[in-house]
Amino acid sequence: MGIQELLSQYGDKYLQALFVTWKLTAVSFVLAFLIGILITIMRVCPVKPLRWVGDFYVQIFRNIPGATLLIMLVYALPYLNVVLSYYTCVLTATSLIPAAFCSEYLMAGMNTVSIGQIEAARALGMSFGKILKNVVIPQALRSSVLPMTNLLVATMLTTALASQVPMNPTDLTGLVSHINTRAVGGVTAFLISAVLYCATAVVIGQIGNLIDRKVRILR
Amino acid sequence: MNNGQTSIRDALYEAPGPRARRWIAAGTAAVLLLLAALIYGVIHQFAINGQLDARYWSFFARYTTWRFIGNGLAGTLTAALTAGVITFFAGLLLMLGRISGIRPLEWLCTALIEFSRGVPTLLFIYFFFLVVPQFGIKLQPIWKIAMPVAISAAGVVAEVLRSGVNAVPKGQTEAAVSLGMQKGSVFFKIVFPQALRYVVPALISEVVIVLKDTTFAYVVNYADLMQNAKVLISNYDALLSVYLVVAIIYILINYILNKLSVAVARRGETAKPVRSR
Amino acid sequence: MEQVEKNVNNVENVPVIELRHVDKHFGELHVLKDINLSVKKGEVVVVIGPSGSGKSTLCRTINRLETIDSGEILIDGTKMPEEGRKLAGLRSQIGMVFQSFNLFAHKTILDNVTIAPMDVLHKSKKEAREEAMELLKRVGVDNQAAKVPAQLSGGQQQRVAIARALAMHPKAILFDEPTSALDPEMIGEVLDVMTGLAKDGMTMVIVTHEMNFARRVADRVIFMDDGSIIEEAAPEEFFEHPKTRRAQDFLNSVKAH
Repeated sequence: MGIQELLSQYGDKYLQALFVTWKLTAVSFVLAFLIGILITIMRVCPVKPLRWVGDFYVQIFRNIPGATLLIMLVYALPYLNVVLSYYTCVLTATSLIPAAFCSEYLMAGMNTVSIGQIEAARALGMSFGKILKNVVIPQALRSSVLPMTNLLVATMLTTALASQVPMNPTDLTGLVSHINTRAVGGVTAFLISAVLYCATAVVIGQIGNLIDRKVRILR
Repeated sequence: MNNGQTSIRDALYEAPGPRARRWIAAGTAAVLLLLAALIYGVIHQFAINGQLDARYWSFFARYTTWRFIGNGLAGTLTAALTAGVITFFAGLLLMLGRISGIRPLEWLCTALIEFSRGVPTLLFIYFFFLVVPQFGIKLQPIWKIAMPVAISAAGVVAEVLRSGVNAVPKGQTEAAVSLGMQKGSVFFKIVFPQALRYVVPALISEVVIVLKDTTFAYVVNYADLMQNAKVLISNYDALLSVYLVVAIIYILINYILNKLSVAVARRGETAKPVRSR
Repeated sequence: MEQVEKNVNNVENVPVIELRHVDKHFGELHVLKDINLSVKKGEVVVVIGPSGSGKSTLCRTINRLETIDSGEILIDGTKMPEEGRKLAGLRSQIGMVFQSFNLFAHKTILDNVTIAPMDVLHKSKKEAREEAMELLKRVGVDNQAAKVPAQLSGGQQQRVAIARALAMHPKAILFDEPTSALDPEMIGEVLDVMTGLAKDGMTMVIVTHEMNFARRVADRVIFMDDGSIIEEAAPEEFFEHPKTRRAQDFLNSVKAH
């Protein structure tokens, strides 16, 4: 099938699929970021059991393969009388896993703040909250721009998991499998999706670099 | 004093006063109670749905079950190792191309690296599973999983290797050249071995990614751990318990690999690798 | 005006900083042994001693960057609280200058000086900035105000750190080895600023290895060794006629370099 034939027949499906991938990526990333912040707060909190829970979360979700998690959410949870929609299952998998990495990056970002700066803030009479607000959080966020950019791309790649469950409309990966199992889409069908993914990743990377250059902290 | 471990966690809070100590004690008690309730709730949920019944767990006491899981694990490790070796050499070639100094080759390799990094593994798998056969090429399942996984990891490995090469001090090359060594042997005998040492932790982390990606083997009918799990599930009609055990096996293997990566990084004083999948 | 003078006179007898029977352990190590010290308003106390003698720890206990095991620390007659807003409030009245400057890496020089006055003392941005520029001028780095710390030399950073402490109008400033991390050619510029502060009547506790500076600026020299205050004397007396063997040995070893 040539590219013209493919586009005339499946053009709007590709567009739809692209938006599904983008939307899944965006929603997953926002959820991952929020969960990541929560987990990070737990991991630095003085209450030891909360730290354990945070650490445990990170170890589980940074080490579990996405496919394994998704399959468990879809097929195993109903045995515990928890039935989620396919979309919810995908979204859960594609946000819980990046959240673990998000927390790792935030921790790494906080570790770039020297203990001396925290002591200096303390000596100036800043309360714990003010130290966080003025010294720790701004520096942690600024130094995790590049990791977060990578995380956004990684989240997008993870959303290909959506192709493993029936979804309508499907995502960019699901569409390729859809076209190829019905017609002989050939390399072109694959390449269109691949280029759309890749272009998105490159644009995200460029924007990340741009932001990083603006906010990077000289040391 | 402040190495990675005595990190921000402990510096963020100052030594607690009596009131803070009381709060922490109360918080600790409350959280422990909540955790206990949570664990109880989960176990209870298992129990009322019959998932604690002996028939879902007793077959784990059998040798044949573990031999089967072991076979699956061997399949997973074979696929991961095959993919890993391909990844390394593909990554090496891409990196060499990117720093070759030959403009068109540099552009080509940069584009290939971006492509490898920007496309999901699953899409590459569908390429090998659905598209490649359309050209009459028949691949064995192991290649249908190892090739796409390798292609998807090669771009990152190329960049990791390049960062290692960049980390080797320029003086090393200058010294070798001043001794009259050829350009090629300067790179492979002096620069690259040192570069490799810098990036071992990042490469170990990449093994984790590769291992995780092999779980898509079920798409191409390759007998890995996940595939064998399916057989166990239909044999014993026990889905939840089998997937739970399989998930724990994956988590443990990757956990150990990550710990290894950190340990090597600490010994070599190289930076901890950053990868998000 | 007269009222204010009278008040100052009234509290003259109350030391700005007072330590009573302060003890501290780091695990097995007894780092501070029954420390008694009082610093009057306008006094410059220089603490010297071999490394590991506990002088830095002593300095850091005064604003509770280090906790103590027993004894008490009073600031202007008020006991140092152990936590909370009161602790933060009392800390804001005591300035501190660190060995490694500890400027906020993500803030400009000007913002480093204005942030605490604005956020802790709730001063207006305009007021904080005007005063900060004055202070930066006083320490000679006003032309660097828009830069970030990493763009400045160590000596310049440390002078900014002094300005940052001054911006809080502290009752006293603690200096924890302020020149130890500096290249030799920059030590002078920092010591000059500190000498100026001493002349202006700032109450100061200075932990240092700069003996000539100590002799020139100190009203009183404290010699510490092994967690205890061994000698306490006027600089002339201490440097010319050290009473204890340990102080004599220390001064000889310092002279030898």
